[in-house]
Amino acid sequence: MALGGYPPELHFLADLGIELDAGHHPHTVARLPVTPHLLGLDGGVHAGVLATLVDIVGGSIAMRAVHPDWMVTADMSLQVVRPAVGQVVEARGSILRQGRTTLVVEVEVFDETSDDRPVAWSVLSFAVLPLANGDRAAVDLQSLPSSTVFGIPGLDQHLLDVLSIASGDQPDTLAMPIDQYVRNSIGAVQGGVVALLAEVAAARAVAASLQTAAPVVSTDLQITYLATGRIGPLVARVRSVTADPASASGRGIVDLVDTGADDRLAAVVAVGAMTW
Amino acid sequence: MVTRHDPVDDQPTRRQGGQVGAYFRGERREVPPPDGSDQPSSMVGRVAIDDHQRSAGGGLITAGLVTCIDSVGGFLSGLTVLPRWIVTSSLAVQVVRLDQLGPLRVEVRVLRKGRNSVVGAVNVVDEGAGDLEVATGMITSAVLDPRSMSLESERPAVIPMPPPVAEPVPLETFFGIEPGTGRTTRLLLDDRLRNPWGILHGGAVATLVDVAACRAVADGRAVPVATTAIDLHYLAPIRVGPVEARVSVLGRRPDGTVARVAVHDLGNGDRLSVVASVTVREL
Repeated sequence: MALGGYPPELHFLADLGIELDAGHHPHTVARLPVTPHLLGLDGGVHAGVLATLVDIVGGSIAMRAVHPDWMVTADMSLQVVRPAVGQVVEARGSILRQGRTTLVVEVEVFDETSDDRPVAWSVLSFAVLPLANGDRAAVDLQSLPSSTVFGIPGLDQHLLDVLSIASGDQPDTLAMPIDQYVRNSIGAVQGGVVALLAEVAAARAVAASLQTAAPVVSTDLQITYLATGRIGPLVARVRSVTADPASASGRGIVDLVDTGADDRLAAVVAVGAMTW
Repeated sequence: MVTRHDPVDDQPTRRQGGQVGAYFRGERREVPPPDGSDQPSSMVGRVAIDDHQRSAGGGLITAGLVTCIDSVGGFLSGLTVLPRWIVTSSLAVQVVRLDQLGPLRVEVRVLRKGRNSVVGAVNVVDEGAGDLEVATGMITSAVLDPRSMSLESERPAVIPMPPPVAEPVPLETFFGIEPGTGRTTRLLLDDRLRNPWGILHGGAVATLVDVAACRAVADGRAVPVATTAIDLHYLAPIRVGPVEARVSVLGRRPDGTVARVAVHDLGNGDRLSVVASVTVREL
């Protein structure tokens, strides 16, 4: 159990065993114990899992910074520059800019093999939602511990299987149900899961386009969140794929639609994928 | 910004805008929604590729592409929120084809119009190569009060393409970018680089970021390099200058070197104004 009752006990964030520490002003740090169930085809932690860690750090920073107002993630960019192969990955975030309506946070991700060189780098933008009369009460910051552990690592199979991510009913699509296990504190699908679904769909499409047997993994994510995914299934549709065999890399544009809400477009994700 | 932004116009406002947009020669054309639709317009731009603006990859230098996307996307976003206007807050572009013939066609459509922001999706094709896909991107703008700025425009809005210039000015000369190598690159803030708000044009910032990242990756070697992805976050306006881009290489991958670029306004207390990631490929 962590911040104001979130995440609940049966939640993927709890099963990841993430530890969040906001007591390093001006930095907030989150650590993720790496298990085989979080790894991609290259043996490194999935970019979408790194995005989840980044989202938690960014969200924690933003929540405290805009208090008593609330906020939502508007966009996230993430570049993975080498596979995260250590036993723990650590994300360190700080505020780049705080304005009246937006907040921009920078997050670096390290593993213990990095020698202070990041394995990934991210920038997140948050939209500030003013707390109006009649809204839910503001979070009581004083009641929040500066350090918290979301749970203990509890995955007994690969995260993609735990999340029931499976091929959709059309080519180049992946689908995932939305339930309490992946909802965030406002009842929408957690932003990192959105990233994971998109990056896996794009990497598969790029691999098919490259016609390679080598492991293709996503390294670059540029996510624009447009609406909350609340009903599901959430479906990732890869609508544009390009591949460059010379550099063994490619790019996919992924629409994330909430098929239970009249195919509402929840996010658009540009994904870069490659073989190391 | 609409009528005051005509790049071939020589009205007094020209002193504070239009020149950066005109350096990369482009036209912009509003495409209204079908009759009866309450959807926002979309916007189609077209940009020429003049020889002195080509990168080592053969096509338009990525900063030029970013500048055109900023012009087309910003114009569309502004029209979408009239009588208010916008400033670009973030812009991401992924280039999938460097060897472009040109002209390029830049299409932007509004994905979300919120109270405080507008999000546009960008697609770029090479008209000279049978509409092959060149790049995709996203542009996010923050909505603001235009104060006294005149925003009248005929609708649908059209801004024509400027004619070619007789004596092309090299890119780094035009943008006041000091010669050099290494991980720090400076730009001198001349008035012609200011946008109608009086701040450094977003395209000039993109050009500085692009040049700085390419120099840092080349690291003094005579190797051809080109930018394949750029992700810009505009944090604060740049008003004073000189402007300094500081590059740190995050990592080298098979598809290119990924760099973080921080842009500081030296004359304004070294304020961090823009942060970007750039992927540069050795060709």
